[in-house]
Amino acid sequence: MLEITDLHATVDGKAILNGLTLSVGAGQVHAIMGPNGAGKSTLSYVLAGRAGYEVTGGSVTLDGRDLLALPAHERAAAGLFLGLQYPVEIPGVSNLLFLRTALNAQRKLRGEAEASGAEFMKLIKVEAEGLGLSMDMLKRPVNVGFSGGEKKRNEMVQMAVLRPRVAVLDETDSGLDIDALRVVADGINRMRAPDRATLLITHYQRVLDYVVPDRVHVLVAGRIERSGGPELAHQLEREGYVRVAA
Amino acid sequence: MSLPTRKTEDWRWSDLSGLDALAAQPANDAAPDLAHYWLDLDGPRLVFVDGRFVESLSDRRGLAVTAVRSAPRHPLGDIAAAKATSGLWLTRSANAAAIGPVQIVHVASGGASHLASRIELAAGAHAEIIETHVGAGWSNVTCTVALAEGARLMRTTRVLKDGGAHTDFTLATVAGAASYTSAALVAGADSARIEARVRLQGTGAFAEADGVLLARGTQTLDAFTLVDHAAPGGTSHQVWRSVADDLATASVAGRVSVARDAQKTDAVQSLKALLLARTATANAKPELEIWADDVKCAHGATVGELNRDALFYLQSRGVDPAGAKALLTRAFLGDALDRIGDEVVRDAVTADAVAWLEAAR
Ligand SMILES: Nc1ncnc2c1ncn2[C@@H]1O[C@H](COP(=O)(O)OP(=O)(O)OP(=O)(O)O)[C@@H](O)[C@H]1O
Ligand SMILES: [Mg+2]
Repeated sequence: MLEITDLHATVDGKAILNGLTLSVGAGQVHAIMGPNGAGKSTLSYVLAGRAGYEVTGGSVTLDGRDLLALPAHERAAAGLFLGLQYPVEIPGVSNLLFLRTALNAQRKLRGEAEASGAEFMKLIKVEAEGLGLSMDMLKRPVNVGFSGGEKKRNEMVQMAVLRPRVAVLDETDSGLDIDALRVVADGINRMRAPDRATLLITHYQRVLDYVVPDRVHVLVAGRIERSGGPELAHQLEREGYVRVAA
Repeated sequence: MSLPTRKTEDWRWSDLSGLDALAAQPANDAAPDLAHYWLDLDGPRLVFVDGRFVESLSDRRGLAVTAVRSAPRHPLGDIAAAKATSGLWLTRSANAAAIGPVQIVHVASGGASHLASRIELAAGAHAEIIETHVGAGWSNVTCTVALAEGARLMRTTRVLKDGGAHTDFTLATVAGAASYTSAALVAGADSARIEARVRLQGTGAFAEADGVLLARGTQTLDAFTLVDHAAPGGTSHQVWRSVADDLATASVAGRVSVARDAQKTDAVQSLKALLLARTATANAKPELEIWADDVKCAHGATVGELNRDALFYLQSRGVDPAGAKALLTRAFLGDALDRIGDEVVRDAVTADAVAWLEAAR
């Protein structure tokens, strides 16, 4: 479903991704683990099409479609979702306006009917409840004054409403308390379906007890150094990156 | 006619050089279509064309429209006093029957037009006035405001011209416990200068002078507000948000002065500008002159760009770059626009701003 082949990318002229190859099949969840600075967030930005991240080689396709040829907003409409490691605060724009604008922009790009106000409110109410964010919070400006954990839950609410085909979640489990981790993991699991895929970037084996991955990859210095089953995450936890990736 | 040049400090961001040429242009007497400028408010509707009151297009509801032969001493006021052909002289007493918000549409058809108005509210009286400027040419308007004890005035000014110049000067005096509130949206006009001097001369007086400047192309827009706290216990707000795109210039200067015995003054000044292009120019100049020691003065002035992280965040969710820009710019303007107290007026002025943003897409 998501095919990344020999991907090279630079940021400010500095090579960060150095021939990264990864294939995530439909219905699968893959985890990416790797040391700080390995290029995990860079990979997520390159996939999402952020300005300043220059692809210097390789290819990425989503359902056979050349993702790299599309501007960021069209990638989203094509079904890509990026859960940010550090969700952004936007003063003056409520979560409701943000998400409704996003949903309808995507629908418009796909040639679908836009959601009416009532339809949207119904949709978001269900998802917010499931993820433990009150409607009062969603009326507030995007992520402003939200705790770290609330910001991550908010990312999950957005994901649930936008229903992407491929979700790239960059450390969505970081900074969550134990209950929130369960809630977020449930959110990810609810998205598991034969026609969807998830790429879960994480530092902790713990989340993988709740969201059991099909594959675990170790990203070091901009490439996948090792891949394996869920047991690889346990091995990393015990032995560290240096020994496992060697 | 002599107008200040940019060599004078308080005028250094204004571009008045083209006014003589504009004044020499012939007027265009095509009948304007004003229907969409009226807000859905129950009150008098007045139309001035080239500074002349037009009874047939208006619904006065008993309001008197008289030429005001005096204007405040000021370079623009002097010209208005000499040349104004008509104006609004609004006087209200506390027990006058309610007339509802007064809407005025000023149409400039070309050439120069001058208008001098006067608003006097007796103790405890209140009034709301919404003025919309449309058309072309140079419109020069001045207004003298006198608010007695406990009077309340809400003013809104929309400059939605197709081109030309707009100069606007207000001199307001506010007695004890009286309140002067103004909001401006300046979008049309190749060049505009909108200036207000508000003097809080009674205890516990209130002033609010807010606005937004929306400049693109080669527009030069300039706002200058001065609040003079001359008595104790006064409160003032100056909240301006300006946006400059292309080669345009948007400038705001705000001055607060607090006299020695104006203790317990609470003055807030927030002047922020947003550059939508590196080729545009924005100026924001806060000035404080404080002679009293027991005062609260919060002030801030910034010139910045849209937050790149926020732009990317929106795009990563499916919003195209122009849409993301418009949404964030609108949020920026909200700091000033959301302060408009009358919901109908707030919605209309916000719609003006949104229309300006949409025009770029
Ligand atoms: N704008 C930039 N200019 C130069 N170097 C950058 C820039 N952004 C990121 N980098 C570098 O790219 C490398 C990869 O960063 P990235 O954020 O992708 O790492 P990461 O694997 O997500 O790390 P972490 O686990 O700490 O989140 C780092 O060495 C970082 O310093
Ligand atoms: Mg990272």
